[in-house]
Amino acid sequence: MKLGVLYSGGKDSTLALLKAQEHHQIACLITVLSENKESYMFQTANTHLTHLQAEALGVPLVRVTTKGVKEEELEDLRNAISEAKAAHQIDGIVTGAVRSTYQASRVQRICRELGVWCFNPLWLKDQVELLQEVIDRGIVAVISGVFAEPLDESYLGKAIDPAMVAKLAKLKHRINPAGEGGEIETTVLFAPGFTKRITITKSRAEYANFSGTYQIEEAQCS
Amino acid sequence: MLLIISTCADKLSELEFVRPIERLVPVHKTVHCTKITPADIATADKIIIAGTALKDFDYLKADFSWLRTTTRPVLGICAGMQVIATALGMPLEDFVTIGPRPVQVVKECALISGAREAYFLHTKTACGFETLAVTDGKPCMFKIPCKEMYGCIFHPEVLNERIIARFAA
Repeated sequence: MKLGVLYSGGKDSTLALLKAQEHHQIACLITVLSENKESYMFQTANTHLTHLQAEALGVPLVRVTTKGVKEEELEDLRNAISEAKAAHQIDGIVTGAVRSTYQASRVQRICRELGVWCFNPLWLKDQVELLQEVIDRGIVAVISGVFAEPLDESYLGKAIDPAMVAKLAKLKHRINPAGEGGEIETTVLFAPGFTKRITITKSRAEYANFSGTYQIEEAQCS
Repeated sequence: MLLIISTCADKLSELEFVRPIERLVPVHKTVHCTKITPADIATADKIIIAGTALKDFDYLKADFSWLRTTTRPVLGICAGMQVIATALGMPLEDFVTIGPRPVQVVKECALISGAREAYFLHTKTACGFETLAVTDGKPCMFKIPCKEMYGCIFHPEVLNERIIARFAA
């Protein structure tokens, strides 16, 4: 099959992509840029960088913008998948959903209406195992957003490495260690299949009251 | 040994519909529905037939006639529920439910006791057996009379892991 990956640029959608391409052709990445930082559906931190990740992967990118109004943003997602289907003849889509029935069921409904397959290869995966697999597969990711107590500004911009996995695993009774509940967002700088690395040349951290972002203002692919 | 039967036409779907059940049942053997042998059934203590993707209907072409004669306890999930129904002569009807929905237990049964909500992902269902639970007025879990054979059209591995744990115990 030819598949499009719903791609935020984070570790989960990257890991889902790697699993999907073991069985199918990845025809495009699909990114929905949300103007609403509180979106229930979409990651927001650094999603503007997915054109660099698509370039590194050598895969076309379908990108749409949404105002991020609850439920209305689904129409924008539908348009994005429709556009990918028309432009790249995809048979299905891949998501990095792990446990959110809110997100998964909405994507499933859209796929059914559009007549495309929906694959969620990380579904119900143990979150510490997920983080470990990110490392084991050679995905290089940094934390680009924290949105829950006790995550403070010291996490922003830090790599997902063995020490960070151990640190997050210790918090598993307070947060979802892989951030499935929206506690953490990440940005991938390198992964298997990337022919180039993404280098951050300018960034800015903003943080207050257990909520913060690591904004990558300038980056290059080389 | 608990036997898990995959109904997935695509290997990628198994990560979504089979692997979560394997995680809940540490001691198991998994086999695809097109490759089941009589020995697989004979050596199984219990059997779970897993679900698959919404667009996948290949499982309806597989041979599940052994369900008519087996004495092993069986739990069919979504596609697994549908193959139990068709093997036992009940027709499927088109009926779509996607997402979490409230569940009402209408006949007490240890497996589903305490369930309030379940995650659905199906476009076909079946009725006509001993109904254990309903959602939106429609049967969503049944038992085959006089057998330890259950079908649930929802996915217990998502919001009702206890059903799988109780069945496997």
